[in-house]
Amino acid sequence: MSGEAKLIIQDLCHHYPDEYTGQSVHALEGINLQVYENEFVAIVGPSGCGKTTLLNIVAGLLPYREGRAMVDGVEIRGPGPDRGVVFQEHAILPWRTVARNIGHGLELQRVPKEETRRRVQEYIDLVGLTGFENRYPHELSGGMKQRVAVARTLCADPVIMLMDEPFAAVDAQTRITLQDELNRIVMATHKTILFITHSVEEAAFLGDRCIVFSRRPGRIKTEIKIDIPREQRVWKEMGTNPKFTEARDQILHLVRQEVTSDDEH
Amino acid sequence: MTAISEFSIAIQRRVGRQRLRRGILGSIPFIFIIFLWELNTYFVWYEPIEIPPIADVWGAIFFMQSDCPGLVAAFQLHNDCQLSNNIMSSVGRVILAAVVGIPFGIAFGILAGINRTISGYLEPVGIFMNSVSGIAWIPLAIVWFGVGWETTLFIMLNTIFWLIFFNTMMGVRAVPKVLVHGVQTLGGSRFDTIWNVYLPGAMPSIITGMRMSLAFGWRALIAAEMIGGDSGLGFMIFVSAVEFKTEEVFLGVILISLIYLMSDRWLLVPLEKWTIERWGLVWKPT
Repeated sequence: MSGEAKLIIQDLCHHYPDEYTGQSVHALEGINLQVYENEFVAIVGPSGCGKTTLLNIVAGLLPYREGRAMVDGVEIRGPGPDRGVVFQEHAILPWRTVARNIGHGLELQRVPKEETRRRVQEYIDLVGLTGFENRYPHELSGGMKQRVAVARTLCADPVIMLMDEPFAAVDAQTRITLQDELNRIVMATHKTILFITHSVEEAAFLGDRCIVFSRRPGRIKTEIKIDIPREQRVWKEMGTNPKFTEARDQILHLVRQEVTSDDEH
Repeated sequence: MTAISEFSIAIQRRVGRQRLRRGILGSIPFIFIIFLWELNTYFVWYEPIEIPPIADVWGAIFFMQSDCPGLVAAFQLHNDCQLSNNIMSSVGRVILAAVVGIPFGIAFGILAGINRTISGYLEPVGIFMNSVSGIAWIPLAIVWFGVGWETTLFIMLNTIFWLIFFNTMMGVRAVPKVLVHGVQTLGGSRFDTIWNVYLPGAMPSIITGMRMSLAFGWRALIAAEMIGGDSGLGFMIFVSAVEFKTEEVFLGVILISLIYLMSDRWLLVPLEKWTIERWGLVWKPT
């Protein structure tokens, strides 16, 4: 992958005290990872492997002590608008309309009203919510809410977009649609994305590179490049794409190893 | 087309009917009480000095306002406008206490909700204050402030502030963390998270607090006026009772509940509609 590294993680380790037992939990061990400009990196691993911990550290929501994490060459210290996050649950605000949720980042950055309005409309159209500008989130379906969340993050124009299992809470049919749409959006916006998922199919379908995590303490087990142009990444065609099925089976095998060794544990 | 319009008419009718039904059910006990009251007037089971006729209670309004020069004078709190002065005095105190108590209660409630240290300081003292009934403070307040508006204001503030404080704090704690994280990762500051997340997120709880504080504050006020006040509906009831003007006592009690009902319908219900109902934060049976 050419271009400069937008996100650099060096020798990152993380321990945290367990909420109930108080014992130290070893969540991450020696993570080295770089995400380049316009790259889509998917992290996949068994549940509890620390992938969300990693994302929270990058988002600045979790302080870290061992190792380094930098975005655009700047050490991560707390959350900031350069790292937009799409969460698994609906993190959009129920008391803001679709348009005001999407424009929230620009509002917080004190962008002039006229420009905000224009850009908000652009992203509303991009995620296919035209006509729903003045609706409140409780009037939308789960899939639509996640579209708002994606548009809200994109509209603030972050250096890197972090996505934490964003489609895990919607039904299977909607998930496929949203994955197709995310591909289209990535093609349109050329965003740099770090995507966390436990779904092997999702990781293989979306990622330029898939990082497979080991079970806890989370380490990078393998990295798999998936060399399929974005234009070809449509669910209708992907099912029969040999590159996709091969990568998917390979990842599945690697993740399985982790899950089985977990069972023996 | 006809099917759709028929359907919509049916729905409208149904909603209307349900409302009607609730209205009728709700008014039956009142009609029953009024009926008994009227019966008493005819059969005189109790003397008028014990239970005055409805006509006398109605007449008390005009009797108490008889020396009032007019509407303008009533609003200027003219000395001879006995009834309206007492009403406005009570309502004015509620407004004053609400205007002071609610914002402070919300502000401290939010701070305590997001900061464990602040809640560590304030929570025990709040539980202490809340456990003591508002009127238990009246004797002490009279010693401190004397008979008059300071005493009644103190009693009301003490009631309103802590209720709003606790409800706001609980509301803030119930706000999902992910909403806060969302705003933080959009570049929001601490103030932005308070203004955009914690305050609207705690709104259902804050409105409950307002409703409770209005009810309890209003009750405390009436008690405070009876013992430590020199005007107001509580004072009026007390003085009228001493003078055996039972119809004025009845009038005072009825006015108190009517004013409370109006404040709920015209202030809190619209506030609810405008905020939490519009945001889909309350489940409303249709």
